[in-house]
Amino acid sequence: MNQEAATGWAKVKELGSRISWQDVGPLIAVFALMVLGTAINPTFLSMGNLTNVFTRSAFTGIIAIGATFVIGTGSIDLSVGSMAAFNSGVMIIFMNYLVQHWGATWATVTAAMALSLLLGAAGGLVNGLVITKGRIESFIVTLGTMGIFRSLVTYLANGGTLSLNLPVRGLYRPVYYGTFLKIPIPLIIFCLVAMVGAVLMYKTRFGRYVLAIGSSYHVAHYSAINVNRIRVLTYILQGICVAIATIIYVPRLGSASGTTGYGWELEAIAAVIIGGTAMKGGTAKILGTVAGAIIFSIIGNILNLSDAISQYLNGAVQGLIIIGAVLVQRTSKE
Amino acid sequence: MRRTIVALTILCLALLLIGSAAVAQDKVKIGVSIPSATHGWTGGVNYWARVTQERLQATYPNLEIILVTAGSAAEQANTLEDLYAIHNIDALVILPFESDPLTDPVDMLKQQGVFITVVDRGLTRAGIEDIYVAGDNPGMGRVSAEYMVEALGGKGDIVILRGIPTVIDNQRFDAFMEVIAETEINVLDWQYAYWNRDDGFEVMQDFLARFPKIDAVWAQDDDIALGVIEAVKQAGREEELFIVGGAGMKEMIKRVMDGDRLIPVDVLYPPNMIATAMEVTALRYVSNAAILGHYILDATLVTPENAHLYYFPDSPF
Amino acid sequence: MAELAMQTIKICKSYGTVPVLFDVDFELKKGEIHALIGENGAGKSTLVKILAGYHQQASGELLRRGKPVTYPNTGAAEADGVVMIHQEFNLANDLTVEENIFLGKEIMRRGFLDKAAMRQRSAEILQNLGTTINPRARVKDLSVSDKQMVEIAKALALNSEVLIMDEPTAVLTAGEIDVLFKIIRALRDHGVSIVYISHKLHEVKALADRVTVLRDGHRICTERASELNEDDMARLMVGRELSTLFPPKGQAPHRSAPVLEVQKISCPRYVQNASFQLYAGEVLGFAGLIGAGRTELMECVVGLRRRSSGTVLYRGKPLSARSYGDAIRNRIVYLSEDRKGKGLFTSMPLAPNVTILSLHEHLTRFGFLDGRKEEATLDQTIEEFDVRIPSKRALVSMLSGGNQQKIALGKLMQVEPDIVILDEPTRGIDVGTKQQVYYFIRELAERGKSCILISSELPEIVGLSDRVIVMRSGVVMGELTGEEVNEEEIMLYATGVKGGMAG
Repeated sequence: MNQEAATGWAKVKELGSRISWQDVGPLIAVFALMVLGTAINPTFLSMGNLTNVFTRSAFTGIIAIGATFVIGTGSIDLSVGSMAAFNSGVMIIFMNYLVQHWGATWATVTAAMALSLLLGAAGGLVNGLVITKGRIESFIVTLGTMGIFRSLVTYLANGGTLSLNLPVRGLYRPVYYGTFLKIPIPLIIFCLVAMVGAVLMYKTRFGRYVLAIGSSYHVAHYSAINVNRIRVLTYILQGICVAIATIIYVPRLGSASGTTGYGWELEAIAAVIIGGTAMKGGTAKILGTVAGAIIFSIIGNILNLSDAISQYLNGAVQGLIIIGAVLVQRTSKE
Repeated sequence: MRRTIVALTILCLALLLIGSAAVAQDKVKIGVSIPSATHGWTGGVNYWARVTQERLQATYPNLEIILVTAGSAAEQANTLEDLYAIHNIDALVILPFESDPLTDPVDMLKQQGVFITVVDRGLTRAGIEDIYVAGDNPGMGRVSAEYMVEALGGKGDIVILRGIPTVIDNQRFDAFMEVIAETEINVLDWQYAYWNRDDGFEVMQDFLARFPKIDAVWAQDDDIALGVIEAVKQAGREEELFIVGGAGMKEMIKRVMDGDRLIPVDVLYPPNMIATAMEVTALRYVSNAAILGHYILDATLVTPENAHLYYFPDSPF
Repeated sequence: MAELAMQTIKICKSYGTVPVLFDVDFELKKGEIHALIGENGAGKSTLVKILAGYHQQASGELLRRGKPVTYPNTGAAEADGVVMIHQEFNLANDLTVEENIFLGKEIMRRGFLDKAAMRQRSAEILQNLGTTINPRARVKDLSVSDKQMVEIAKALALNSEVLIMDEPTAVLTAGEIDVLFKIIRALRDHGVSIVYISHKLHEVKALADRVTVLRDGHRICTERASELNEDDMARLMVGRELSTLFPPKGQAPHRSAPVLEVQKISCPRYVQNASFQLYAGEVLGFAGLIGAGRTELMECVVGLRRRSSGTVLYRGKPLSARSYGDAIRNRIVYLSEDRKGKGLFTSMPLAPNVTILSLHEHLTRFGFLDGRKEEATLDQTIEEFDVRIPSKRALVSMLSGGNQQKIALGKLMQVEPDIVILDEPTRGIDVGTKQQVYYFIRELAERGKSCILISSELPEIVGLSDRVIVMRSGVVMGELTGEEVNEEEIMLYATGVKGGMAG
């Protein structure tokens, strides 16, 4: 009995030494923000509000999971927000077209979802190939495709807004607004994507190679890793994540325009970095990324729940909280 | 270092040469400079500008209309230089991105003898423009407020979703507040929603979570209003309140026309004011009509009775 | 008795919980060359980093000109005339030589950079060093040895009184070493005190006035260099007799069909028409001066570098020219000379480094990575190669050079290689580890594997190789066997006196 207790304690200690502050830091920041939110307005803790906040974090959160892989290799993808807008636009046009033949059925919606995944993967493939085969900095390539995707959607929408056919909207709506066991569906999808992301990152050869490349491009090459192939794969994965985010975004408002997904790339990248992943690559914290996305969503929410701060200063407060959140996790390491 | 300076000088000279090589012309050239289509309303502006360009050129063969769009104030200033240097325009119709940074570039063209028509956003110095065409921003706020006072019977709790912090937004907001100041209408809170559906949705979600009773929402803009509608629907509070948007987006006009309880009215701030400006400017060159001066388009209240007059199903906006 | 430039009294230091220095007393006289020797991990680097303000001692005293001092950072030490020249280059690659020499201490005139003055001063310093480096060349375009010279010039620009050199000759050619030694002696004669760290004991013997030996964080002794010979130094460092540095060579290997046949490989600018054969059970040495194209040739052989022509046959079958992965699958591995840049992920822990080539053997039934298997492999490597580590979760960068090299070798061994190509496997590692590497190479050959050894240290080539190929300017100059394998003969080929387009 005693011995068992001893080994049990040893296990706890072992576990304790395995969990590094860097991993827990972002969670502490999330907790601190939740305390802050509650202090400012007790409504913050209401079920309805928390559901809203977590659900909203799903879009950038899912995209950020993909971004964790790209950034893990030491690259960057700035095109994700525009790609989401473009994907949304194409999905809407495609469904509006299919509805004439198949009616407002799940076949129509499913076909559009498949198309979105295909488009996302193709967009990622293009980004990845231009970066690796063209030997161009990822920053430049994705800055380029960012503009391309953004103006393609503006072109498709004729400068205005693309709206989804109403009967299809009614059918598709529960994908965003529905719940399963009282949990919003976007949140469930976000969790699933994060879990798959964690398994890929920590439990597969692909994930190991991603971190190896981020750690040192040359050493990876000298370790017989097909560096280009892995990098292209990370961009495809990023594209698929964008597609998944799009699939749950479209039923929310049923529309897409030139401003859809505006600034998501920065939010996603920031979520990754806040989560403890290094911009230069070589480390990747999936759980941290999830926390980072939630932190972003909470900040926006808190600002809307309070009138203590002048609305004109919202940006400044947001900036301060982001820096503060990172400081909390960095200093709690020591 | 020295080499860099030499190279830059040569580049500048080359550009000047190209610029001055503008060709002689016989047609009247009108340049039209507008913001690129980044959200619904500017999308409408782009649509109407293109439609009007085609119509005018077809009607008056001696007119040539050059339409350019810009993504930022700085870019728009550049396009002005190009319009003058390359196309040698006679008249300029401009919807300025921002008032302040574009005042001097427009004034420069004025100095060169270009006829100036300014649309929507006024320049910060008076006397530059020959024609001014605009929607009535303070009027928009006032009309929205007056409707709300009437519909609420002079008292109630409302929330406001504003646009992007700009002069226009301030004019609308101030006029609105002035009207309701004398009533028992209480503004629970306001936030910026950046003339954007997603922000409209999220801000409204938070307002709904925070305030158990909201009687009306002033969304100020139809894009924002569309996001607000979804948030209200999600919370299942459609019966509790109504929404006043603004601009005249076709989806919203349609809702008003159909007698939607949630969207009883809309307030016009029509993007086809660019068409008005282009038509009036063209008239100067094809008729003898006196056309200098200010043209302010009414902030008309769109109700189920008159909605059919403002419904353009082909417009993207 | 000469004045003391610096002195430490009972200095102790630990990294985390690992103690690295125990009560070390060290004295540096004004105007002496004082060599500091010891195996890797003995504490030499730590001691000099305390002198130069990179680290602070946990206890004990640091004296400068007889007075206690503390240097909170390197800037404080430099301001006090104590400058360290790094083993790894600390140069901004994209800046020019002169910009680097004055980096952080630019000469200003009226608030602007005085480029003319800096150019003139750089030229003077470089000229005194006897190099022909163009002060306006970009550092990234320089050879490794020229970069070392720039490092030294940088230190000299500070007018330092105490100069600490950590293995300055590791990448220099014999000619350059002679020049450097002249400079060091001249500096000493001007009253500069020099702390000189080196693993090359003959250099220490030739250069130093006094020698301090460290072992496992303790000072073993300080002696006049003239009173010690190289064997004494090695024995003091290791603490045991190094009777035979090199293992005895076995029987001349039986030459049947070659395991590897390299035919007419060319790689523009580096290698021209190089051919050779490799047989089972032999150690094939590749000798030559730095820049002779040996590294590039081997990179072409394993598919790490594009070749313009030529074929490689492994047991009669052609190898892919473009994929190192193909070579690995055929159990051919290559150890890069650039351990930190190309060999190991220095910012990652040990286990992922050891298993990176063989992840397919570290999977669970369902195809996921198996952390336990990886850890077991690490344990096995640590045991097999006698790796000294602070903890199993340590990062590679926390290990000493010798232990890093053992991890790098352990990584290669995971694919159970048939052919092992080792490029400068003992660069920057201590005598004890060197000996372990030598025995390891010989054992591979005895087990019937084939080994290619690239080394710039002739004693190593001669002591280990069954057969030697000498290259010069990208061309195979000749092949030496049996009695021909000696330093003089190799130098004749390496310098172009003998040989031609052989093979």
